[in-house]
Amino acid sequence: MKNLIKNKTLLIGLGLLLGCTSHGCKNYLVVEPIDRLTGNNYYLSVDDVESNLAFTYSRFFDKINETWVMGAIGEARSGEIFVAEGANNYDARKVIEVLGRNDLLTAINSSQYEWYNVRQITNWKKYYEVIQSVNILISKLEEGIPGVSESEKTRYIAESKFIRCFTYFWMVRLYGDVPYYTDAYHTQAQGRENMVSVLNKCIADLMPEKDRMPWSFSDPALRGARPAKGAIIALLMHMNMWNTAFDNQNKQSYLSATASLGSELINSRQHALVTPFNDQNWATVTKGRSEESLFEFYRSINYGDNVAALAPFWDHFLRWPYKFPRFTNQRSHCYFISTYMDQIYPESDADKRRELWFENITSDNGQFVLRKFGTNVYASGNEDKNPDNSFIIFRYADAILLYAEALAEMGNKDTEAITAVNMVRARAEATPYTGSGGAELKDFIFLERCRELIGEGHRYFDLIRTKRIMNAEWTMSPLSLDQFNRGGWTWPIDQSAMNYNPDMVLNEYWTSVGR
Amino acid sequence: MAQNQQITGKVVDETNRGVGGVTIQNATNKRAMTATSEDGTFSLSVAPNTVLIFKGVGFNQRRITVRANQSTINIQLSTSEDQVEEVVVRGYVARKKETTTGSSFTLGEKDLRDVPVANLEQLMQGKVPGLNVQVNTGAPGFRGSTQIRGLSTLSTSGSGNESILMPTSPLYVIDGVPMDADRASEFGLQQQGPGISPLSLIPPEDVQSIEILKDAQATSLYGSQGAYGVIIITTKRGNSEVPRINYTHSTFIKTPPKLRETIGGNLERQIKLWQVLQNARTQEEIDKIMSNPALSDSLNAYYNNSTDWQSLFYQNTFNQNHNLSLDGGNQVLSYKSNLGYYGETGVIRNTGFNRYSANLRMDYRPTPRFDFTGQVFAQLGKQNKGDGTGILQTGVSTGGMNSTLLPAPGFYTANSEYLSAIKTKNDNSSKLIRPFVEAGFEIIDGLRLRSALSYEFASNNEDRFTPAAAAGQFSQVYSFAGRESQLYNRNILNYSKTINEDHSLFFNLFNEVRHVTRQNTITLQARTPNDQFEGPLGFDGYFSRGGGVLSNFRNEKALSFAFATSYNYKSRYVVDLSYRLDGSSANGFENLYTKNPAVGVRWNIHHENWIESLPWINLASLRFTWGVNVMPTSTLERVYGRYDISGNYNQVNGIGINYEFIPNPDLKPTTSMQYNAGLDLNLLNGKLDIIYDTYYKQVDNLLFDAMLSNMAGFEKLYSNDAAVANYGHEMAINIRPLPSSNALSWTLSINGAYNKDVLLQLPSHYRGQFIRWDGSQDLLHMVNRVGTSSLSNYLLQNVGVYATDADVPVDPVTGLRYRTADGTYFQAGDPIYIDRNGDYILDNRDYARSGNTQPLVTGGLQNSFQYKNFQFSVYASYTAKRTILNYALAQRLDLLKDPFGNRAVVPVNGLDVWLQEGDVAKYPYPYDYSRNASIKPFRYDQTLWEEDGSYFKINNIIVAYVFDRDFLRRFKLERFRIYGSMDNVVTFSKYSGPNPENVTNLGRDQSNGYPVPRSYTLGFNISF
Repeated sequence: MKNLIKNKTLLIGLGLLLGCTSHGCKNYLVVEPIDRLTGNNYYLSVDDVESNLAFTYSRFFDKINETWVMGAIGEARSGEIFVAEGANNYDARKVIEVLGRNDLLTAINSSQYEWYNVRQITNWKKYYEVIQSVNILISKLEEGIPGVSESEKTRYIAESKFIRCFTYFWMVRLYGDVPYYTDAYHTQAQGRENMVSVLNKCIADLMPEKDRMPWSFSDPALRGARPAKGAIIALLMHMNMWNTAFDNQNKQSYLSATASLGSELINSRQHALVTPFNDQNWATVTKGRSEESLFEFYRSINYGDNVAALAPFWDHFLRWPYKFPRFTNQRSHCYFISTYMDQIYPESDADKRRELWFENITSDNGQFVLRKFGTNVYASGNEDKNPDNSFIIFRYADAILLYAEALAEMGNKDTEAITAVNMVRARAEATPYTGSGGAELKDFIFLERCRELIGEGHRYFDLIRTKRIMNAEWTMSPLSLDQFNRGGWTWPIDQSAMNYNPDMVLNEYWTSVGR
Repeated sequence: MAQNQQITGKVVDETNRGVGGVTIQNATNKRAMTATSEDGTFSLSVAPNTVLIFKGVGFNQRRITVRANQSTINIQLSTSEDQVEEVVVRGYVARKKETTTGSSFTLGEKDLRDVPVANLEQLMQGKVPGLNVQVNTGAPGFRGSTQIRGLSTLSTSGSGNESILMPTSPLYVIDGVPMDADRASEFGLQQQGPGISPLSLIPPEDVQSIEILKDAQATSLYGSQGAYGVIIITTKRGNSEVPRINYTHSTFIKTPPKLRETIGGNLERQIKLWQVLQNARTQEEIDKIMSNPALSDSLNAYYNNSTDWQSLFYQNTFNQNHNLSLDGGNQVLSYKSNLGYYGETGVIRNTGFNRYSANLRMDYRPTPRFDFTGQVFAQLGKQNKGDGTGILQTGVSTGGMNSTLLPAPGFYTANSEYLSAIKTKNDNSSKLIRPFVEAGFEIIDGLRLRSALSYEFASNNEDRFTPAAAAGQFSQVYSFAGRESQLYNRNILNYSKTINEDHSLFFNLFNEVRHVTRQNTITLQARTPNDQFEGPLGFDGYFSRGGGVLSNFRNEKALSFAFATSYNYKSRYVVDLSYRLDGSSANGFENLYTKNPAVGVRWNIHHENWIESLPWINLASLRFTWGVNVMPTSTLERVYGRYDISGNYNQVNGIGINYEFIPNPDLKPTTSMQYNAGLDLNLLNGKLDIIYDTYYKQVDNLLFDAMLSNMAGFEKLYSNDAAVANYGHEMAINIRPLPSSNALSWTLSINGAYNKDVLLQLPSHYRGQFIRWDGSQDLLHMVNRVGTSSLSNYLLQNVGVYATDADVPVDPVTGLRYRTADGTYFQAGDPIYIDRNGDYILDNRDYARSGNTQPLVTGGLQNSFQYKNFQFSVYASYTAKRTILNYALAQRLDLLKDPFGNRAVVPVNGLDVWLQEGDVAKYPYPYDYSRNASIKPFRYDQTLWEEDGSYFKINNIIVAYVFDRDFLRRFKLERFRIYGSMDNVVTFSKYSGPNPENVTNLGRDQSNGYPVPRSYTLGFNISF
């Protein structure tokens, strides 16, 4: 009897031993990791999508934050910026003039300019990190994320595609041809694809998303900081306009696409140029989230956003009382040379921008101030901080002028083009354009872009796009046709791109000239 | 026919314990007459002049002729070295080795005694064919590297000279509980925490036997964890009617190896001055002498010394080892306790290791059907690492290179490296406690159920206080706290049945449940007030340099099921089949289980009837096995990607993917498939014992860090597309040439293993070759090329030194001489590198694959004499066919690169160095300091440092004497044995560096590593 009981307990033990059902065993083995977040416990809510997008924007901004990026890529290379005598770190800042001579290899390699770390611009890895991140997000959204409604899903996909296309567009402007892919978890090494084809693919990718994106969001904090329909339109216009320069055969179709996108944007009346044109109103534009913002990297000291001291374009063009402490900021580091200032803001023309946006505009020394970005000064006393502006990428005025440019290029739409350009001039309280159409109008629109968008990182790309870079009338650092064709306008690509990629070729202009 | 006479007697072992179960055979008709009872006694009736054979499992057989009128026979059996007659453990069940098919090797108590070591593995070196143990660090309490049958991974960790191959240690099973010996190896040589190897906590005196399982049949029952081989350690248990007290003591002296030769005092200054005057290129450089008081002001007391820096760091040490064990009991109840202390002060000052252990065991077996075991291991390891990480002693290594002109550290002068090495207070400890209970019950005849449960808890701590002078004028406190636990449960159901005495069947079904956790945290508080105040500091945002939970956090649950069956016919033909399912929570959510099948067959030829005609064959067996071990490689992270909190935008915190590796949902488990064929022979009545094994092991779906192009955004892809094969031969020969009746017994054992690894496959887009570029300044690139040995160096091919300027090649196109990438031209005295791409520029394209980092041949030799009460043994081991990079020499010569610096000067005589125009030399000119930075004549990434790392090492020499029993009785002693031994006696090698074994597992001589000391021991064992 005693034995029997013993046997019974043993049998129960045996049951435990062998009776572990597959379900029970599986449950035992499932351990949700508490020490790390993996792909299977992420993308589970709207918040996850939001935080993932925040990560992506911040990654992209890291690239802009690496050095004086906006200035180096969009402004300095045309050669009108000079370093003010007596600027602090004068020797290192001379790199800006080196950039102005398009001597990028010296700017990158010389130890004298190490402080600027211009080399970072040549490394595209982080842009591809952004692309991979949104590609993964798109695939997750398409699979379905719990808690994300159908309308949110549509909007998030459109936003993600905007980021993807914007990144490719940005890279095309820097490097020319780039590898293009849209699949999630892409591992295959591939060579560079012709940039026109890349942008065409981007246009095709983004075009359908335009109408799925609302003009505005209910949360005003998102305006401009996150892309809405206006941002998509601006990007599409830019991509089309870029291709007009490099795909001559289809020039007309790019132009008409830009024109119709532009009119859609203007006719929607969702955006407006901030008026009246005064300091107070202008400050809201540079701060960001304004009616005029289409897309910007919104930055705020209130959010503890990290902006490197060197990163803002305006850092180089401000002095006391726009910068503190007074003792060390008697001079601006740099100035735009007076001949250029007189070229774009002729004294004969009434233009409120000349007064509102500058101080000592033709001084050719450190007294020069680009007040355009000096309206959100929060520092005082010994605080050494730049004004709290956002990094504006696409602004309504930019889109209007692009629209005007496309119309003027089309040849038979000069009247509309003049109307558009005068919208921008009217806000600036400048004399309206009354000249003829054709070449004069085109030149005027180009100059208007220089005037309106100074310091916003458009000028050098406009020079390339319009091929004016090959004409000494428009730039102090012209390229010959041969240099242009060999890619003298591009940036060198970091050697590391060659690693593990047999199909990779670097920009030939820089590998041949540099060596 | 003569009248039978009645004989009684007792069979005892070498320690005079009765041996039960010894069969006594009549030699003429080979018929078993009787067997001894549990206490070793027997009685039988036999005719005079009959020859009796005494045979016991684990003992050498003995023959005794019965004399007329003899009535008692008391004999002593010697322990057998014979590997076949033993009982082995397979899948946690004891089996007779004869009826198992796998390849394994057993070490007994005798192989492990007389040499006090911190780490058990050191004692296994050279004793097991195919087990490659390299004692590559002398750091007390740390372990070297251990590999069974070659390379199983291509993963490395760390960079430059410090990169190591990720350890693939065998699974250790200690008294039935698996243990991970590679704990905390995630961080390579830059270990975090105390780094005490769990193996260092086991006192070798408490080990009864160690069995090394090598092939997949033997290991497959241990599943994924056993993929790199299994080592089973069995500790001693109570086994004596009368309680016995056993005390082992040894005293040992450790001495550092020979140190680097340095030129001291004024001669150093003279050489430096000569070097400047000889090689200066501008007046400015010569004038620099004037601004360098060490060179110009020989009367300055501060610079007028001859300090032997190295001797400040190294020392001879005096150490002790004590072990006390108490055991007793009978068949029903037995007990054992073992208390141990081992203390070792490191040969580098301010380092050392102490072990305290207490192991208790109790076995209770009230009826043959029921048994119960309770066991507790409690171990404490305390360690002092100085200011290094244990294996690396960078501070000491840099400090030892100081100029002799500088004053020795004293009251007025300080030297930060010295202070850091000596004054850093370091208190590290590993505490481990493991209770274990096991019970077995025989439900019906042959059907047994066993269940075991153990819970291991380990706590690891490191507290380090660095005084201000050693840490940039601010003292700091570092603290590491770690805890690990393993809950382990195993249930076994087995059934054995013999049908008609011919067919034996055995079934074994078991499951294992494991739950492993680990959490390590670190805090660092810097800029603490002063050296007098070491804490407690509390939290302070200003002082805190952060910290947190280390990334090797672990919470893993594992569940396994295994089934094994074995059939044999008259013990002649044996078939083994086994299958194991291994599940782990670390595998992700899909495919939780990996499957490990194995098959083995064995033919015991010696049981065939026809073998009787060949009486010189005592034993002959053929074995053939096949098995697969599958190791999961997919983790949640690898499959789904890891997401980190990073960045913020527009007031939203960002969370995004980590770009270190791209998720790979198609990751397959690594499959290690192995064939093994073996032959066991015992010839000439045990005089010759041969074990031979040959194997082919193919590791498929090997995890490979496929580096990605930067246009993919991610750094790497964990891919599965690599494969490696290892094949080789292993042989162990045991010779006892003298007859057992001879007073002198001589045992000679030789073993050797040849293992070759070949890379079979790489991810296809690499087109057969992958270059692992090293990001560190050492530029130690590696290359994996399909069809060659898996891990090779990628080096510049050095072919000598330019004897004259005219020897430097000139580019016929440009007229420029061969030059470096920064445009410095080569000249006489500079190294000659093969310009592989022919562009007359020294750059990345001039590298070539070179050497083999893994040894091809390893093995050992044991030679033991016993004459009456004397024992003399020599143990040796060897490693051959391996490339070592001699960075000790590179660093030594590089000391001469800056005469203005504060480094010592070393003599170069004895080395084939270029000194003047026309010299045909091996080593480049070391004194040309102004061009040194461009030419880098002693750069690490060149074949100049490649040397043959073969060595033959005499591990130990042991002399022992056992006192006569009758003499001891007078003192009421059971046994008294004294011995003297030497460890790490001498290494014979062509290698020109200090020690060909003291290198990383990638074959790099780490000049900042911990040297392996030599030790001299005197000791005794005493039993009451």
